[in-house]
Amino acid sequence: MDKRTNEEWIADLRAGGEQQAKALEDLRAIILRGLPYAIAGRLDPNSPESEALAEEVVQETLMRVLEYLDTFEGRSQFTTWAHKIAVRAALTELRRRRWREVPLPEMEMNEDGDSSYRELPDDQASPEDQVDRKDMLKRVNRIIMEELTDKQRKALMATMEGFPLEEAAQRLGMNRNALYKLMHDARLRLKKRLEKEGLTPQEVLSVFEQAGK
Amino acid sequence: MKFKQIFQRLFGSNKQKPVSPQNGTQADKSEKMQKMLMMLSNTKDVELTCDEVFALLDQFVELAAQGEDVAQLMPLVKHHLDMCEDCRDEYKVLESIVQNVA
Repeated sequence: MDKRTNEEWIADLRAGGEQQAKALEDLRAIILRGLPYAIAGRLDPNSPESEALAEEVVQETLMRVLEYLDTFEGRSQFTTWAHKIAVRAALTELRRRRWREVPLPEMEMNEDGDSSYRELPDDQASPEDQVDRKDMLKRVNRIIMEELTDKQRKALMATMEGFPLEEAAQRLGMNRNALYKLMHDARLRLKKRLEKEGLTPQEVLSVFEQAGK
Repeated sequence: MKFKQIFQRLFGSNKQKPVSPQNGTQADKSEKMQKMLMMLSNTKDVELTCDEVFALLDQFVELAAQGEDVAQLMPLVKHHLDMCEDCRDEYKVLESIVQNVA
């Protein structure tokens, strides 16, 4: 049953009737074999929640496979393409469940930027290094304030706090792709502004690395 | 075979707790700033978006599984995966599936 060629998968799934039903049944079994790799380490595999999630994801994947069948270009095995859709659906749902109770981090902004990032842990850095680091943080924060939009700052804060892009995007009323573009623009702006001020990210980074030694 | 049986056969039945998403301790902040600066350092003028990478991910994973030098063949996809944790997670799961199931 797993041995269809790409062309056979497409033909069977387009056929309708029993031929399509059989192909969907086979594809369902294939997807179910892959899903444990998406769920492992993210959800208790013995929970009813886990089984329900798998069922939900399989249904969603089969619907999407049929919906986007025409976009399959045959550049991979058809089953790899279908697994890809299932993995996206599963991880999207798992991220949503894991992060739904976590509020987006708030930034307390002032003229110096985000105050929380000015108070770094007191490590074993020398007093000179600590002054360098504090000055550099102030400078970076100022640049963030001047160059980025409110949305970009919120997104930057969220991703620095470990929020998945997808989840941060949803909270900010956009999709993941749009947020990646927004963040790319933010990174470019910050990088160019640092360059304009005679700094490279590596030089700024070295201040923190030295301070952390 | 039921989903739970498949799972237990592959990974055993040990319950794995997800890591708490809240780790905003003061000690992490220097690390986060460094992470952001590393991201800036690796930023390119032209980057693929998540959707563009998703469209190529199955092909990328199969080439990697065949031992091809994907960094050379599809450098923009590789770069995006280095920059985007969401896409990287999806890549790693798909890679496991291709290696073990497909």
